[in-house]
Amino acid sequence: MTSTSFHVRRGQRSWRGIIVAALSVGVLVLPACAGSRVAGEKEQQGNSSGASSGTIPVLNLATESDAAMGSLVSYNPFAPQQTVRTWLFEPLMQQSSLDCKVVPWLATGYTWESPSKLVFTIRQGVKWSDGSPFTAKDVAFTYNLTKKYPAIDLAGVWNDSFGAKAKSVTADGDKVTFEFEGPAVTKFPYLIGQKIVSEKEFASVGDPAKYISKNPISTGPFKVASYNGRRLELERRPDYWQADKIKVQKLVLEGNYSTNANQAAAKLKTGELDFYSGEIPNPDKAFVADDPKTNHVWYAANGLTVLAPNLTQKPFSDVKFREALAHGMDKQSATDKATYGLMKVASQSGLPLPEKDDLLPAKYPADSTVIPFDLAKANQMLDAAGYRKGSNGLRQDTDGSPIKITFSVQAGWIDYEAMADELTSNFRKLGLDITENKMPPEAVDQQKKTGDFQLMINYMGAGCDYAHGMGATVSTAEIPDKTTIKGNIGRYTNPAVDKAIGALAGATDEAATKEQVGVLVDAMMTDYPVLPILYAPARAIWRTDHAVGWPTAEDPYANPQDQPLVWITHLTAPSSK
Amino acid sequence: MRYFVRKIGFFVLTLWAVVTLNFLIPRLQPGDPAELMVQNLAGKNAQLNRAQVEAMRDLLGAPSGSLLSQYWNYLVQLIHGNLGVSYTYFPYTVAEVIGKAFWWTVILVGTVQVLSFAIGILLGAFAAWRRNSRFDTSVTVISTFVGTLQPFWIALLLIYGLGYGLGWFPTAGGYQASTPGFNGAFVYDAMSHAFLPALTLMIVTPIGWILGMRNTMIMNLGEDYIRLARAKGLPDRMIALRYAARNALLPSVAGFALALGGILGGTILVETVFDYPGLGRLMGEAVGIKDYPLLQGLMLLTAVATLLANLIADLLYGILDPRARRAAA
Repeated sequence: MTSTSFHVRRGQRSWRGIIVAALSVGVLVLPACAGSRVAGEKEQQGNSSGASSGTIPVLNLATESDAAMGSLVSYNPFAPQQTVRTWLFEPLMQQSSLDCKVVPWLATGYTWESPSKLVFTIRQGVKWSDGSPFTAKDVAFTYNLTKKYPAIDLAGVWNDSFGAKAKSVTADGDKVTFEFEGPAVTKFPYLIGQKIVSEKEFASVGDPAKYISKNPISTGPFKVASYNGRRLELERRPDYWQADKIKVQKLVLEGNYSTNANQAAAKLKTGELDFYSGEIPNPDKAFVADDPKTNHVWYAANGLTVLAPNLTQKPFSDVKFREALAHGMDKQSATDKATYGLMKVASQSGLPLPEKDDLLPAKYPADSTVIPFDLAKANQMLDAAGYRKGSNGLRQDTDGSPIKITFSVQAGWIDYEAMADELTSNFRKLGLDITENKMPPEAVDQQKKTGDFQLMINYMGAGCDYAHGMGATVSTAEIPDKTTIKGNIGRYTNPAVDKAIGALAGATDEAATKEQVGVLVDAMMTDYPVLPILYAPARAIWRTDHAVGWPTAEDPYANPQDQPLVWITHLTAPSSK
Repeated sequence: MRYFVRKIGFFVLTLWAVVTLNFLIPRLQPGDPAELMVQNLAGKNAQLNRAQVEAMRDLLGAPSGSLLSQYWNYLVQLIHGNLGVSYTYFPYTVAEVIGKAFWWTVILVGTVQVLSFAIGILLGAFAAWRRNSRFDTSVTVISTFVGTLQPFWIALLLIYGLGYGLGWFPTAGGYQASTPGFNGAFVYDAMSHAFLPALTLMIVTPIGWILGMRNTMIMNLGEDYIRLARAKGLPDRMIALRYAARNALLPSVAGFALALGGILGGTILVETVFDYPGLGRLMGEAVGIKDYPLLQGLMLLTAVATLLANLIADLLYGILDPRARRAAA
């Protein structure tokens, strides 16, 4: 099974894992059989693409959530799931989690007047889809709406999730001012992502969470043309504020394939789908190999998958033991098995490299932070630290008691299982008595809360809020409690790190940020609170026969998965064949 | 009369047990629905966003009060026909969501069940009548073989062959370009999309009926009344259809009622493979996303349908077969 499928979308479903694995067997059989019906559709598309030069007549994309019961439509951007939100509603600014560059959007600029006061300049000349002008008042209205209804405050502006709470959001002319109760710089990446809605539509609808929006008023590049409950057609808005950059005339969204990624693979192959960011098993083989000129894949490093020991338990409480493990992990082999070589081995620094090379303190050259696999060295370190082998060939604790390690593994997350299998066999070679306990992901989550585990695989955030991204794994405040999963499942505590994380909330310039991130990197490199295995991806799988200009590894101008609005403005028609 | 009262009493008791289990099971599951929802939306390669979890908790509303009072509220809601609000399709209610999927499955699987039953009974009866003939052997062997295949595997083969290979039928969804409603284009669209799932099910479902019918029929053929009928010189066809088949049908009728009840939950994999907008697919989705209210609604619907079908079968049986009535009394 592991060889056919390593991704299970939204993994929390072991039975679905079984289906996906079984279906993957199916998709390996499917390649290269464009049926006549499919070919017919393709031809239609081909014909119309020659019509007017430079424009892209149609682009086929996936919907944003499962639309099994699509006719229950709501275009309310505050609903937990909807068919489309990206193409209709826009945020103030866009920040790529890969390089943290800020792209102005509905706001043209921002300044932190102090770590607790943020001022945006709102773009002029933007029109809502009903023709009325978009103003700073709409922006202030949106944020204040999320204050009144905490259920829609997805950016956490009004609570202390990622920094101090907001006190007020006010509009004045073309400025919108956020005032916080304390330093809140770390809130920025979340705050700018809030989709802005119009006061006209939302002022009178009551609880916006429960509002069903059939005729949305939005600022985005597209508006709804037709929807029959399955196939959603969006048409380009000629009055969009950067309409000159939108070459795509029509978007067709049909299905999101989350229950069946193989449908997506098949549609990508036949040209019925132009871009997909879901999890297709082994996309290189299942898709790209078919036609490497047209079919492309780029998995950008967007976070880290790490091995997380429970630092409150022996022998993991000993930093020397953890350091030895870091050298005894065949990360390359684990990465190849889990991701078919699409991702790279992760750096011990906790930063996705090379994207975030700039943030590394000078004393850690980027190459030196990836710890090479060296069993002999790991054995040597364990010996030196006093973990000697007993008569049964298994290592014992420094006091001579036996070591027995249980590795909690999320069953059905096939890439995690592949990593766990590889690491377990590595550790056995070190003479450690380790067994895997595969259990439902919810049960693993439960162990994160209770702290009743020894070893597991966890995700370590990256992103641009270092305090709550990579910081979440090492901050004392992020130790999970009985009711809430948080990032620091290993229960690591370090006052210097906590201080740095606190300081990040007030760091409004890059030098200050780099200094504090340096403290976190230092902790990662010397304390080994977690052992990074590989980088977790932001995924993009796309075709270039209808449109070109997608973000790629060579030109990573956007996070392909999170920033479709950015790449849609870069797309152009392919030059004539 | 006692027979009917007993059966209805049993029905009510089972229904209560089902409702209670339905209430308890989600509450025994590990995991916080809000955390699960947020993680599901973000995917596993994403950090749990605390602000979103907070908002989601607020949105879904945490259950309050003791377990007993929650149970009471649940019962009161149920009696009012209120199944709650779906997490996934928020703010649509569970009843609305199920209502959308209901007819897709009922029409597809209902048709398939009725056809399968008819075909299965006929083939089974004929095979038993012509026992050990070439027809009997091939029907039995093929049925036994096909019966070991998983429906979703057959579905994949059909998608590959008839969908992608020959391009005759669409492979995903319930309809595509037409507008739902009672119009020619939509009916055609829906039927062409339903063809492959229906074919998949038609390959598998008759098998139970074929083998079951064949076996009961063979047993019946050994009975004395058949011998008597033969001795009287009745024509073969009459003995086969009016005597043996009629009696052999009795157990199958009860089974058929159960199968009709089981329509709602029985096609999760096939509907998922075909992305068919029915109840099975919905249930798969609800399980995956841990949409407890939706899942509870679907389980309840399935259980009630099965129980009702069972009750009707029991009552019918009592009318059809006086022995059952007497034995139970």
